[in-house]
Amino acid sequence: MIQLGELALHIALPISLMGAVFAFYGGAKRRGDWVLAGELSVYAIFFLLLLTSAGIVVAFLTDRFDYWYVANYSNRELDTYFKVSGLWAGQRGSLVFWVLLLSLFSVIATFSNRLKNREFMPYVVGVLLTVTGFFLLVLLFADVNPFEKLPFAPADGRGLNPQLQNYWMTIHPPTLYLGFTAFTVPFAFAVSALLNGRLDTRWIVITRRWILLSWFFLANGIIFGMRWAYEELGWGGFWFWDPVENASLLPWLTATAFLHSIQIQENRGMLKVWNMGLVVTTFLLTIFATFLTRSGLIESVHTFAENTKIAFIFLGFMGVVAAACIMLIVWRKPLLKSENQIESYLSRESAFLFNNVLFLAAAFAVMFGTLFPLITEGITGQTITVGPPYFNKINLPLGLGLLALMGIGPVIGWRRASRRNLVKNFRMPIVVGLLVALGFYLAGARHGMALVTFGLSAFVMTIIIVEFVKGTKARSRIEGEGHVVAFLHLVGRNRRRWGGYIVHVGVVLVFTAFAGSAFDRELITTLEPGESVTIESPLGHEYELTYQGLSSERGNNLAAKTTALMDVSQDGKPIGTMTAEKRLYLTWEAPVTEVGIRSKFLEDLYLILESVSDLNGAFLNDAKAQRATFEVQVNMLVGWIWYGGLVITLGGLITMWPSRGPQTSSTQEDPRRSSASPTI
Amino acid sequence: MEEYNFALWSSVLILHCSYMIAFAVHLLGSGPFTMKSNFRFLGAIGGVSLVVGYLIWTGVTETMTYYLTPIELINRVEEDPTFHQVGVKVSGRLEKGSWSRDSDELLHYFTVADLEDESVRFSVEYRDILPDTFNDQELQDVVLEGRFREDGVFDATVVLTKCGSRYEATPEELVEDYIE
Repeated sequence: MIQLGELALHIALPISLMGAVFAFYGGAKRRGDWVLAGELSVYAIFFLLLLTSAGIVVAFLTDRFDYWYVANYSNRELDTYFKVSGLWAGQRGSLVFWVLLLSLFSVIATFSNRLKNREFMPYVVGVLLTVTGFFLLVLLFADVNPFEKLPFAPADGRGLNPQLQNYWMTIHPPTLYLGFTAFTVPFAFAVSALLNGRLDTRWIVITRRWILLSWFFLANGIIFGMRWAYEELGWGGFWFWDPVENASLLPWLTATAFLHSIQIQENRGMLKVWNMGLVVTTFLLTIFATFLTRSGLIESVHTFAENTKIAFIFLGFMGVVAAACIMLIVWRKPLLKSENQIESYLSRESAFLFNNVLFLAAAFAVMFGTLFPLITEGITGQTITVGPPYFNKINLPLGLGLLALMGIGPVIGWRRASRRNLVKNFRMPIVVGLLVALGFYLAGARHGMALVTFGLSAFVMTIIIVEFVKGTKARSRIEGEGHVVAFLHLVGRNRRRWGGYIVHVGVVLVFTAFAGSAFDRELITTLEPGESVTIESPLGHEYELTYQGLSSERGNNLAAKTTALMDVSQDGKPIGTMTAEKRLYLTWEAPVTEVGIRSKFLEDLYLILESVSDLNGAFLNDAKAQRATFEVQVNMLVGWIWYGGLVITLGGLITMWPSRGPQTSSTQEDPRRSSASPTI
Repeated sequence: MEEYNFALWSSVLILHCSYMIAFAVHLLGSGPFTMKSNFRFLGAIGGVSLVVGYLIWTGVTETMTYYLTPIELINRVEEDPTFHQVGVKVSGRLEKGSWSRDSDELLHYFTVADLEDESVRFSVEYRDILPDTFNDQELQDVVLEGRFREDGVFDATVVLTKCGSRYEATPEELVEDYIE
């Protein structure tokens, strides 16, 4: 099985390269048989890569430590699901996994378009196979072959890094990779449109779901990563502006900008070059994020490998792709002319344009800050870094600007909004926003930016709720339906619009959660069993934690695990116990800290076992080694990030859900007829 | 390797900048704006760009941190005593067996030496949670952030450990493990 997988990897490379040539040739000469040969290679490669991935997984499951990759990322006692996730634990496997997902999406794109959109398909297949071929080339010829063998078979592997032995490991990287790879499909359609000259909105209409799908996975992947970092000590909380976190944020920022700017093109025929630029940039950033995660070029908590050679190969690939796309866009410039002009700055297209400027500015600032150490080192020979304060300082105002636009965009009219439209739509939300900010101020919140965020969030929420209520009432009146039915039909009829609003609600929740962290509290204390510590939450609750002592045991893949037990009471009433651990893994020298989290709707109690006076004694259940130091935190509103993530997922699913019957394309809509509340 | 890094990374950045410029040119030229169209727009977008530029500029100047070796740091403060007040980032080697702690005050003490010249060293005070991988029983590189006080003690606010090979071993290292 393992050899078969290796063989499949070798066969896949020539097939992908030949298939790409067939598809491009067939497209250029209008020869259907050649195109079909290209399409068949897409299916063949997916099958071959399934074999390859199965080979790697089997090697992990059967403890084949004579393979370098398995020896480095597994050991005998490792839990089975971590052995399976070994496929993406290291650089080599994750490259295979990346190209497997790409190939899966290629199959879906090719199969679903086997009878339609034929004018695009030859080049789409060509581009997809070229990208696949590039990754296969890297896998086989850049010293990253996952099937590399050791000259001997070690008795046991080195084990998986304990920080990766977390259930998020099985879900966060795949989600992010799904988002990265799904974006290759819109990119392929864009390049195809440039090549065949069909530069109207057709390629956007075809790939709209793909863009949403990619965005959906990226957003979820980022939120899963935040959750993981929140649970893992030493990763600086849910977001630390670490280079690798930034790298995954960059394509999300540009993809979000793209998701909005294509609506201007669909409705008003503008920004065609811009959209091409965005789709290419986002694709390049997904590649950038993929290799940055595993390259080690920039110091980061995530850098799990130090193979820099591969980084240069990837940068070269990015350069070639960028150059080719720029040439194509310049060549097709005459066909990318704008059909309309912006008439007023009080219009939806202008709101979307500012949204794009802010997203791109944020992307630029994040990129600049991430690469700043390398830039200064190159220019002055002196490395200068910028930390989280830099990123917060810049992204806070940009984020607030985007939050405001999120309220304005949906209710302002296309082309030119009338004053009456503005007054009617914004008077109440502005009042509500101000009242909420004032309410928080009177309640004792004294953090300026947090107050602004709460106010703006209330403003946006009011606008969205009013839209939903108005829509439901109108439908209920016209169709004579009950309110619930009317609401469901309303959302069902125009999923893109209402699903989008639900996504906005989720984003507002996440923003509110970020602002909440301004009120976090923490303390460090050393306790003997029986002693207790009190911490007051910003909401005025008093938590009392009573230390019950340590107990130690052996666990699966663990040499020892010592658990500190705390009785927790809130305002004098006992509410349960919390535990925090130190673990000693079989394959790891340093002990690993596991935090305890007690989540409530508005605040989390977060417990860290900082140190034990005599850790070795504690591991051996020594009764005298019980004195321990704890850090206790009260984290405000953190839970809202995860709730927001769920709402984003719900909204995303509604938006993407396939509709029965002909999909109403907003391109067919005459923009002059759409006034105050048009279709998006 | 270092100079390659710089060349390649800066090309990424230049690429990114060129997109921004291309967009600006596109807007001014054949894009949605013509000369006679609304000037307020260009003013507003120009305003946003200026604000963002200003934010980046002040963000960098206010938060930038020098990344130095212990030798560079000590030379620097000798030349310019005001450097004691500046926040810096230092990468050095943790000295074996130098860690101790005051559990009443929750302070950690340890000594960090230069990577190349081990005689250049200073003691460090740190009042927070050390990373799990911090271990003074073996050779370890650490990165500190904080301020080098006038009394010659480094007041650290962040301590990170750096062990490049701990995630992946080369086949040679695996052979060594095996022989052991």
